[in-house]
Amino acid sequence: MEGVEIREAKEGDLEQAADLIVRVKKLNGEFDPLFKVVDDARERARKYLGDSIKTHGHLVLVATKGTKVLGVLRSILQSRLFYLPSKEGLITDFYILPEWRRRNLGDEMLQEASKKLKHMGAEMIIAEFPARNEIGSKFYTKRGFRAFVETLAIEDRRD
Amino acid sequence: MPPEESHDEASRKALDYSAFYRGKIGTVPKVPVRSLNDFSIWYTPGVAAVSRAIQKNSELSFDYTNRWNTIAILTDGSRVLGLGDIGPEASMPVMEGKALIYKYLGGVDAIPVPVKVSSEEQFIAVAEALEPSLGGINLEDIASPRCFSILEKLRGSMKIPVWHDDQQGTAGVILAGLYNALELTGRDLRTSKIVLSGAGAANIAAARLLIEAGASAQDMIMVDSKGTLHSEREDIDQLLMRNRWKYDMALKTNSSKVHGSLGAALEGADVLVAASTPGPGVIKGAEISSMKRDSIVFLLSNPVPEMWPDEAIKAGAAVVATGRSDFPNQVNNSILFPALFRGALDVRARTISDTMVIAAAKELAAFAKKKGLARTNIVPTMLDWDVFPAVAAVVGEQAQRDGLARKSRTRSELLEEANQMIQQSRSLSSILIEKGIIAPLPRDTRQEA
Repeated sequence: MEGVEIREAKEGDLEQAADLIVRVKKLNGEFDPLFKVVDDARERARKYLGDSIKTHGHLVLVATKGTKVLGVLRSILQSRLFYLPSKEGLITDFYILPEWRRRNLGDEMLQEASKKLKHMGAEMIIAEFPARNEIGSKFYTKRGFRAFVETLAIEDRRD
Repeated sequence: MPPEESHDEASRKALDYSAFYRGKIGTVPKVPVRSLNDFSIWYTPGVAAVSRAIQKNSELSFDYTNRWNTIAILTDGSRVLGLGDIGPEASMPVMEGKALIYKYLGGVDAIPVPVKVSSEEQFIAVAEALEPSLGGINLEDIASPRCFSILEKLRGSMKIPVWHDDQQGTAGVILAGLYNALELTGRDLRTSKIVLSGAGAANIAAARLLIEAGASAQDMIMVDSKGTLHSEREDIDQLLMRNRWKYDMALKTNSSKVHGSLGAALEGADVLVAASTPGPGVIKGAEISSMKRDSIVFLLSNPVPEMWPDEAIKAGAAVVATGRSDFPNQVNNSILFPALFRGALDVRARTISDTMVIAAAKELAAFAKKKGLARTNIVPTMLDWDVFPAVAAVVGEQAQRDGLARKSRTRSELLEEANQMIQQSRSLSSILIEKGIIAPLPRDTRQEA
């Protein structure tokens, strides 16, 4: 895609990238009420990304065109204490503006993140999203990902 | 008589006369019954031979029965006129009224079928189960956005035309009016900036049809209760989940991503098509004044348009249309749907394509033009009898061009057949009235008093 660049996020990208993080969190809320977004999500997203770009083992990628941020992918490198392979690259957040979907940008960002995470030491790539997020599920399974860890939830029903 | 008084009067008469006539339509035999012996032909044992023939070739059901001219007006009563979710029983008077118009103006035998269903899937299953009895289905008064998915699925699964009048019918008449309004004001559809206020079934369908007819999607702006639609609106992903059709429009239109309210969208616009909230006062004169000079303004909310037409003209609009018959330029589905189905049934069309609707819109526009194009005459009225066979003929022709027709007919054959069917229907009505089989209207004692 002409003029589109995929690179590690810089401080100047974070205002726009934080908006995209809030969008993905709100989308999660569409699938499951246990993902209801807090009121100050925007400020938290800004800090979350700000901390990440400064933290060793974290990776924040953005897709940009000029000064416009089109997509964001946040991931972290984690150790697996009891299992092999012992290092995993976990994609925690991934969002692309609707206008830029279905143009292969998602694939390109995922490939770039996988390459960088592997370079950082990851031996496997995993992606985390709400179980009911069918869009996320379709995106990753189409690209060869399979169910890996199951997380079940129960709401606190104290009267 | 002021509009409100006339509305009350019509309501009172509708109640009184409905009780008197106990329904607006019934069935009429099409074959001679000279004596009871004839039932051995029309019914058993003779009819078994006809059934056996159809069993061997189900397509013959269109030739040997009235299936070819029969449609269902299918509804769940979930969004009836301005009344909302009133349920299937309460929707029956509206569906009967529609059936009456289908018969009287299009010669189409339409059966009102309000159904009690608990899900979209159940509604679709009912519609599909009815296919062997029907030449077509008119979906009616179904809430948005499920009306979109129902139409989409049924158009895919059924081999008879399925039409949603609230979407396609309204869109077709809007396009017809727009063709003439654009000509009157020296504009071109392809280069006009069009704003649609309201993002319900009618306007989403209108936007789709206008784009299909050549309007620029990038320059088009849709506005809903939250403001202008665009691909980066905060609730865009919620739209993706809840209303895929509106989401698609948000991506396709408003490429310059105009933010804000209707006022922001209207600045410098050529055309406004409002199908939003009953007025008056919903749209302000200043907003119309911010449009280009000699703008085109369609105010389609019923029973009261978004603003009064004279206010829109005072604010600079050159051509104004509404949904009401007491103002000039009534954008009314009734000038389209009877003719459209007439044409589709006469060529035994498998579906109704956008190009068929566009052809119908062009013919409607051409008809109004023949009568004398004027700012107060951009669309035909229901009194223009000749428009119905003319539109039916172009629809039948277009279905053949689109490869959707199972029967081949020339334009003159189509015109003749449509004329005959419509004329026959009106003659039947006249004869039944003359013979007293349809009783005269009861005496209006309240008015006399």
